[in-house]
Amino acid sequence: MIEASFMSYISLCILLFSLGIIGLISRKNIFIIYMSLELMLNAINLMLVTLSKYFGDIDGQIIAMMVMAIAASEAAVFLSLIVAMFRLKKSANIDDYNTLKQKGTL
Amino acid sequence: MTDILFLILSLFALTGAVGMITLSSTMHSALSFVVTVMALAGLYALLSASFLFMVQIIIYAGAIIALLLFIIMFLNIRQDHTPKEPNKYMTMLLIAIVLAPMDYLLFTAFARMPHIEDFSTKIDNFGDIKMLGNALFRGWLLPFEAISILLLVALIGSIVLARKKERR
Repeated sequence: MIEASFMSYISLCILLFSLGIIGLISRKNIFIIYMSLELMLNAINLMLVTLSKYFGDIDGQIIAMMVMAIAASEAAVFLSLIVAMFRLKKSANIDDYNTLKQKGTL
Repeated sequence: MTDILFLILSLFALTGAVGMITLSSTMHSALSFVVTVMALAGLYALLSASFLFMVQIIIYAGAIIALLLFIIMFLNIRQDHTPKEPNKYMTMLLIAIVLAPMDYLLFTAFARMPHIEDFSTKIDNFGDIKMLGNALFRGWLLPFEAISILLLVALIGSIVLARKKERR
């Protein structure tokens, strides 16, 4: 049986981060890309808290709290960008957001 | 006891994450992500980070995911707005194969750290709000103020970006 040790927490962090990268690259829905980003931030947060417990140092938890604050501000800006882009294109597909793409070449 | 709790919570977290990246409906995907966030809050509690446990529930589940669900319902995302993605599982498999060496490297790097006994379940005041506040306002005062300015900038920026352009 797996004991709740340091390595099990670290393995969970690595798995969650990898799932975040997989969702970030393979999906085309802008909302799921955003949630994958949040999942990666959460995995990093869990690793910071685990290392904070491991070293007996509170600084890891403070950095995790700052990551949460940055995630909150990122959520506000990202979601308002999504609202603006959805109003313009009427689509949640990132392939439709190609206004800046140069036509003709490539 | 903590082993069983850890197993259940990590199973919930992984199931929610897999559901989040595989489900095709945006709403189901977001609701699946809530499961992951709540399971991670439980893991913080297991790691004796009691303040972060509350912050995770209040900020992530209460603010960020609620905002996301609100935006999804507000924009009324239907099935024809979202992309089809017929071969997403193939792409996921390919990326997982590419990522496997990185995961192995990280795992072996962390496995070489010195082993400590009695990692979980130590009852003391480590990670409660008093200790965190002491450390935050003594050693981390400048980053704290910078974060508050960042939140203000994000507040103004999101209002400016989501506003409708007025006709002139």
